[in-house]
Amino acid sequence: MAERPLTVAVASGKGGTGKSCVAASLLVTVPGLLGADVDVEEPNLALLLGAEAISSSLVEIPWPVIDDALCDRCGECVKNCRFGALLMFGGGAPVPNDLCHGCGVCSMVCPRKAITEVGRPVGEVRLCRRGDLRLYEGRLHVGMPNPVPVIDAALRAALAEGRDLVIDSPPGTSCPMVSAVREADVVVLVTEPTPFGYADLDLALQVIRELGKPAMAVVNRCDLGDADIEGLTERYGVPVAARLPFSRAVAESYAAGNPPAATDALWRDAMVTLWERAKEMAGR
Amino acid sequence: MKIREITVVSGKGGTGKTSITAALAASAPGGLALCDADVDAPDLEILLHPEPREEHAFIGMDTAGVDSQRCIGCGRCRDVCRFDAIRMEGGKARVDKTFCEGCAACTLVCPVGCIAMEETRQGTWFVGETGFGPMVHARLNPGGENSGMLVQLVRKEARRVAESRGLGTILTDGPPGIACPAISAVTGADTALIITEPTISGEHDLLRVAELCRRFGTKAAVVLNKADLSAQGAERIKEACRKEGLPLLASIPFIPGVVHAVSQARIPLAELEEFLGPTWDRLKGL
Ligand code: SF4
Ligand code: SF4
Repeated sequence: MAERPLTVAVASGKGGTGKSCVAASLLVTVPGLLGADVDVEEPNLALLLGAEAISSSLVEIPWPVIDDALCDRCGECVKNCRFGALLMFGGGAPVPNDLCHGCGVCSMVCPRKAITEVGRPVGEVRLCRRGDLRLYEGRLHVGMPNPVPVIDAALRAALAEGRDLVIDSPPGTSCPMVSAVREADVVVLVTEPTPFGYADLDLALQVIRELGKPAMAVVNRCDLGDADIEGLTERYGVPVAARLPFSRAVAESYAAGNPPAATDALWRDAMVTLWERAKEMAGR
Repeated sequence: MKIREITVVSGKGGTGKTSITAALAASAPGGLALCDADVDAPDLEILLHPEPREEHAFIGMDTAGVDSQRCIGCGRCRDVCRFDAIRMEGGKARVDKTFCEGCAACTLVCPVGCIAMEETRQGTWFVGETGFGPMVHARLNPGGENSGMLVQLVRKEARRVAESRGLGTILTDGPPGIACPAISAVTGADTALIITEPTISGEHDLLRVAELCRRFGTKAAVVLNKADLSAQGAERIKEACRKEGLPLLASIPFIPGVVHAVSQARIPLAELEEFLGPTWDRLKGL
């Protein structure tokens, strides 16, 4: 029987610790992995891998449309919308604005059935490719407030392939990050040994513990700072799986758009170890 | 007096936004109020060491709560929730507060009326005193919701503090990204100061935040950090700034001493000194 595919989410409390570098390095080191970039506000994984979009589909959320002839201006929808997304001006029918979450409450409560819904594009999911390497990239349209529907759409597309998957998660610890890591078997938290890295990792570890996910940490630029990351992760029972020193050569090659593992043997070895440990943790 | 708010953003994390914000605070020419609106990763306090003065609960949107005694397990609430916030567990509905947007659709369909909207604490906000002025900051609970609302709240409070003390400038450390928290941070600010780095992702993310600022009517300017990590990358950022009409206020090289200072929870003031004065001058001239 074929093994169940393994899904690993690469996350970090703080942005810029090298999360996308780790995700991209896993993808170029371990053969046969599929990628999902769900850092949809700033998707960088395809750029780092030099992958080109070969197809794209829009992500839409429902958007209310009010039939002016049916609407009798009762104001029920305005009263029930908890986001202040419907406003009535000068005797006209209510008009939705950007605060709309697409929750559907207004169409549920309208006594005259005057409200229907259409799709409103909030982002896209692109399938990107370079050689044999493929990844799904979620991309939020600039100006749209809620990244979660785009994250979900990109994850759904990637998970549907039923392959071993690496997810590049959004930074932070609020609902975008949770949406990304809740689908994973194992979470890799990338951090740096600065007080910022330490504080943000602490928050991320709390979220991971609450989700009950097995996790490991990667300490990037491990020589640029002396915060006690090991002491912190130990308290959560999370092992440090790799420590990677700062390298100007790696930083320069990253600047030019090459993932560290493409130029650095230390990174390649670390990625092999990381994947092996993830498999163990997930019991594969 | 008109108060001027400068919000430091970056799109991409890790460009040095917080270190530069702290150094700008320490070198500000006039009276200043500080605001940390990066409520998901509130790191400015690590460098500025505010003395705590006030602490308040942040109550976000009401969220749904199920009275499981009365829940009959019909699952209608789960089906109507578009945010996937309700799961059935042991024949009872359970709301995942991280995903509940607070729309109340579930309360409208529950046949036994066992779901009610309830006040939910999503974080904490503080007023503190630093050596450079008062500081308003906050912490969203891990896994919390409504970070955009909390961003608006800390900005409003920072403005109140600045007004009451007659301070002419608010310096805000903004959140990364371009979604709700970033929108809440740049809307209505006088200037968005975008910190970027000379990488292809830095350039990509710079263009997205710049577009966000344009859409929400906020004037943007750029500081290029770690400029010498890639000569070619730096050229591309400069070119992008020219094309987009974004004033480039400073180019700062990669200075190992900055990382060192931050590692000791110290403001990298001496390390960045030569760039700060000119940046403030150019900010004023905008
Ligand atoms: S769909 Fe929901 S958020 Fe949008 S206008 Fe209707 S009630 Fe308001
Ligand atoms: S209030 Fe809205 S988002 Fe929250 S659980 Fe109910 S239906 Fe879902």
